[in-house]
Amino acid sequence: MNWSLFFGELVSGLTLGSIYALIALGYTMVYGILKLLNFAHGDVYMVGAFIGFFVLQWLGGALSPAVNGWVAIAIMFAVAMVGCGALGVGIERFAYRPLRNAPRIAPLISALGVSIFLQNSALLLWGPQFRSYDTFDLIGVKSYSIGNNFFISNIQILTISVSIGLTIVLALVVSRTRTGKAMRATSFDRDAAEMMGISIDRVISFTFFLGSALAAAGGVMFGLVFGQIFSLMGFTAGLKGFTAAVVGGIGSIPGAVLGGFLIGLTESFATGYLPGGSVYANLYVFALLIVMFLIRPTGLLGSPVIQKV
Amino acid sequence: MSSLGGGPPLDEGDLPAAIPEPVDGVDRSRVGTDEWVAQSEERRIAQTGLTGVVARTWERLPAPARLAILIGPFAIFPFITNEGNLYRYGLITIIYALLALGLNVVVGFAGLLDLGYVAFFGFGAYLYGIMASGHSGHHLQAEIAIPIVVVATALLGLLLGLTSWRLLGDYLAIVTLFFLQAFVIFVNNANGGLNDFSYPFVGKVDLTGGANGLDQIDPFNLFGYHITTTKGYYFFTLISLTLLMIMLYFVNASRTGRAWRALREDPLAAEVMSVPVNRLKLLAFMFGAATAGFTGAIFGAVQSGAFPGDYDVGLLITIYAIVILGGLGSIGGVVIGALVVNGAPELLRSSANARFLFYGVLLVALFVAMRPWYKPVIVFLGTIAFGFAVHGIASAVWSRGTEGHIQGGGRLGRALEQWVLLPSNPGSIAGWAYFALIVAALVLTLVTGWWRVIVLIPTLYLASFVWENKLVEQVSGATRLILLGVLLVVIMNVRPSGIFGTSRVEIA
Amino acid sequence: MKKVVVAATLAAALAVLATAAWGSTKGSSRVAAPANAGNALVKCGKTRSIGLLAPFTGPAASIGINQVHWANFYRNAYNRSHKTKIKFVNEDTQLGSANGTAEAVKGAQALGSNSSVLGVVGPAGSNEVKATTGALKGAGLGWVSGSATNTQITLDGTRTGFFFRTVPPDSSQSKSVSAYIVNNLKVKRVYIIDDQEAYSTGLADEVQAQLKAKGVSVGRDGVSQQQSDFSSLINKIPRNNQLVYLPWQLPPKGQAFGQQMKSLGRAGTKLMGSDGLFDPLFAGLGSNVYDSFFPVNPSDARVAAFKKLHKGTELFGAPSYVAAQVVTGAIDRACKNGTASRAEVRAQIKKTKIAASVSLLGLQVAFDKHGDMVKKPFGIYHSVKGVFVRVA
Repeated sequence: MNWSLFFGELVSGLTLGSIYALIALGYTMVYGILKLLNFAHGDVYMVGAFIGFFVLQWLGGALSPAVNGWVAIAIMFAVAMVGCGALGVGIERFAYRPLRNAPRIAPLISALGVSIFLQNSALLLWGPQFRSYDTFDLIGVKSYSIGNNFFISNIQILTISVSIGLTIVLALVVSRTRTGKAMRATSFDRDAAEMMGISIDRVISFTFFLGSALAAAGGVMFGLVFGQIFSLMGFTAGLKGFTAAVVGGIGSIPGAVLGGFLIGLTESFATGYLPGGSVYANLYVFALLIVMFLIRPTGLLGSPVIQKV
Repeated sequence: MSSLGGGPPLDEGDLPAAIPEPVDGVDRSRVGTDEWVAQSEERRIAQTGLTGVVARTWERLPAPARLAILIGPFAIFPFITNEGNLYRYGLITIIYALLALGLNVVVGFAGLLDLGYVAFFGFGAYLYGIMASGHSGHHLQAEIAIPIVVVATALLGLLLGLTSWRLLGDYLAIVTLFFLQAFVIFVNNANGGLNDFSYPFVGKVDLTGGANGLDQIDPFNLFGYHITTTKGYYFFTLISLTLLMIMLYFVNASRTGRAWRALREDPLAAEVMSVPVNRLKLLAFMFGAATAGFTGAIFGAVQSGAFPGDYDVGLLITIYAIVILGGLGSIGGVVIGALVVNGAPELLRSSANARFLFYGVLLVALFVAMRPWYKPVIVFLGTIAFGFAVHGIASAVWSRGTEGHIQGGGRLGRALEQWVLLPSNPGSIAGWAYFALIVAALVLTLVTGWWRVIVLIPTLYLASFVWENKLVEQVSGATRLILLGVLLVVIMNVRPSGIFGTSRVEIA
Repeated sequence: MKKVVVAATLAAALAVLATAAWGSTKGSSRVAAPANAGNALVKCGKTRSIGLLAPFTGPAASIGINQVHWANFYRNAYNRSHKTKIKFVNEDTQLGSANGTAEAVKGAQALGSNSSVLGVVGPAGSNEVKATTGALKGAGLGWVSGSATNTQITLDGTRTGFFFRTVPPDSSQSKSVSAYIVNNLKVKRVYIIDDQEAYSTGLADEVQAQLKAKGVSVGRDGVSQQQSDFSSLINKIPRNNQLVYLPWQLPPKGQAFGQQMKSLGRAGTKLMGSDGLFDPLFAGLGSNVYDSFFPVNPSDARVAAFKKLHKGTELFGAPSYVAAQVVTGAIDRACKNGTASRAEVRAQIKKTKIAASVSLLGLQVAFDKHGDMVKKPFGIYHSVKGVFVRVA
């Protein structure tokens, strides 16, 4: 048994999974309330990564930041999350809100349009080149090991812990605050919630803000761990995030996190152990989705949906 | 029906003027909606203005005349242009129109969101290549190969359609998208090399040439007649398009067509009315797939090769744009959509042309969207005056602001040099201007009346600035797609079923 | 209904098997060129037109623009020193974009219909060469590419006499690379990772076969060009692996890979790249990095002038300079009697002889009967203090 391969893929999978979990959370919250597949979510993630990059440049770049490396990272997170939150609110207000009662296909196409718009605006403004976060120069990458076979770097620890931390914060917001209660009510029955005096528009905007902020955090983390960001990175990440949300049970927050980690682990273990490895890794992830659809269409932690005629 | 921030009121006699004012600002409980909905047909018939006249005349024409009007220009095209333009504007447009017609059946007629459609297109091209190319060593005649391709692709469509039985809307979209990804990866690796599968009995086989593509595909050999020129393929494809349009017209009017429409509007109600929903879904998928496979064979022969990168998400978005712009469910609209979506980027290739198009569209949109007539005139003159003022101030205060040059030249370009701010080193200013333009455009949708006129003037100037300094650089690449994205959002907001689609009124 | 489904699935499986069994033979080409393509005589005026097919926009724009700069560099130098002038007719192929090779074919068709175009420089990608063969051959145009390196496109006989290239093919690069790995670096365990593009898989396949023949144990995998997370893949590479070969196109990816190797504790493994990774980003990873690149004479005055003009050290497009040089020379010779046809220009391209002393590549430019250069070496470089230095 090749323990070093096993632990290596485990750590990789958890790191990847934490990023997917953050993206999945945004998808699941929006879908829970609006029943809308927000194609543009992956591109919000990409914009978050770029905002983080530009904040870093503004602070002096990875080689000579004006503040301590870790403080720079905190600032990057904060600015990216707020910026993308605003972006998400804007997208909802102008591309989805007018279509709330339109036939199902209209918001989907509108989301596709927003996605194309974001991708190509990024391409236009920032070029097709890859931008590098240069984490090595920023905070240095240190590798810790337990025994001979288990290695983990400080960036990977940061990623996993930030992801879990943000999820806990989100869970607290949803379960303990009034707005969270309003969100839960709206996703349960929109019309009833409105009749109880909840302002649907505000709740939905808040949901988008939260979801987009989380995606932005994921984007910044991706840049830190893997070093490279570019304008088309949102597409595949968005797909996998959606897969994670569905596998975990769409509409369920713990489900999204579980799904994210599951997808990340599948990807890394498939790369490591299955034939065709890295080339077919994405296919194995999607195959998992198919299997999930066949045996448990509502996902691992989702609740069965009863359609009233 | 929804609109961005309030549209023009419809004054038609004694019909209700507009949807009664919503109670809380955007949507929600409507009083008297039922009557408004019930009278939508009458309102449509009573449409005034140029669009109304055109729409009514169009509907009164017999079907063969409509077909002749659509196909006629295409038939004359080869005789008035050279080979390069024929390929670019003619053949590719017809190929896209064929693809879009097939997709229209799946999405427009039956309402199934199929995001894996171009995989059938690629499948057709590759299968034809396997049967008739130098690469594979077989040289089947087209009259045998093409039917095999059509049937095989239809079978593949059947298999993919099976997934639509249990999956609704968005989930189906994701599964079909996964199918496309799988197809691309498979085709990229099925070259008998190391990443390929080992088939039982035959071992590893070079099916598709892998990343290098399946090259040396034979030209069509129809009963001994080889089609080798662009004109030949053009006429072959045009005839196929005409036949397909005729077939779809009859299908649309048939029981199956009506059943598909029922399925699209409300699957649950259709099932309750004993429409065989599952079988219809399969039929739609198969039909769309067969069309795509057929077109794929043509495309493979035209390019004399099939390469993995050609059948990916980018093409999918293009075809979807055609179907959406042209109108879900409208046959003629799709052809016009193909013309627009394929023709426009070609026109946009040179910056001078793109400039005409950009300013032309802005002006037309301005005069069409704003009524009464004096408002757009005010905006137009005001923008010009504003521009000169800003240009004058800038050249006095900040010399570098006006030193740059218009890309692409031309008379319009030179005239604009005196009007638009052209910094010698646009750099990040153009980026911030782009961002400001987006914000301004969004603000425009929020204000009404005279405020709109006031905000519009600097917005238009800003748009011109951003265009000249940033967008014009990437006209055939990123800019085209940006405009496409914006167009999709706007169209979905204003006319959710596309330009020529039948507008539907839904009760909340 | 279920029976239909089962029957359909069975039929599909049988069909796949049948196709696999049947699709496996290889055959000869059957694409014939029209008999008298390109024999029309054009009057050679003061300005001569050459078609330029390159990715001006799109994902590969960075290398495309570099090629265009080099071609324009040649054009400007020529126009300054000659009475007759050269003009490029630009067509954007958008290599790697959504429309795939369709854009390249559109451009080729347009150039074919343009009667003043006598020869073509480009296109950049090997798949584009294949796709545009019908259009360019049908129009009788000869075309010279500075970057299409797939070994087969000159050897399969479909384009002989029409297509030429001023860059050594993959077979040269793979030979040089495997020879260096075995003889100089003397490693026994190599891992090859391609990026799933045609250029990369072709090189990877050839190097793998050659290394295996020399007794080196080789592992193989691939990543997509869009991918940035290599950690799962790096974990899979056995710890006793000595060298990783990366025939990739994008230097930032190479840099990301190297950095992730370091952060996962594999800083000691040697990395060998291909000409796509010949860039300071890759070299900056450290002294365990090697690369292969065609031999451009670095001390050539023109290289220095280009670097000053474009403030970059991109040499990827230098063969496009040579391609422009070849086509221009051919047109000049064909136009000596005042008129020229595309067929004459093609014949003159075949007879090209640019002496080593004048050539940008530091070696003589002449074509063999397939359309490849007669002399086609590849150099191996080692990263010393962040700069690539030639060692073989």
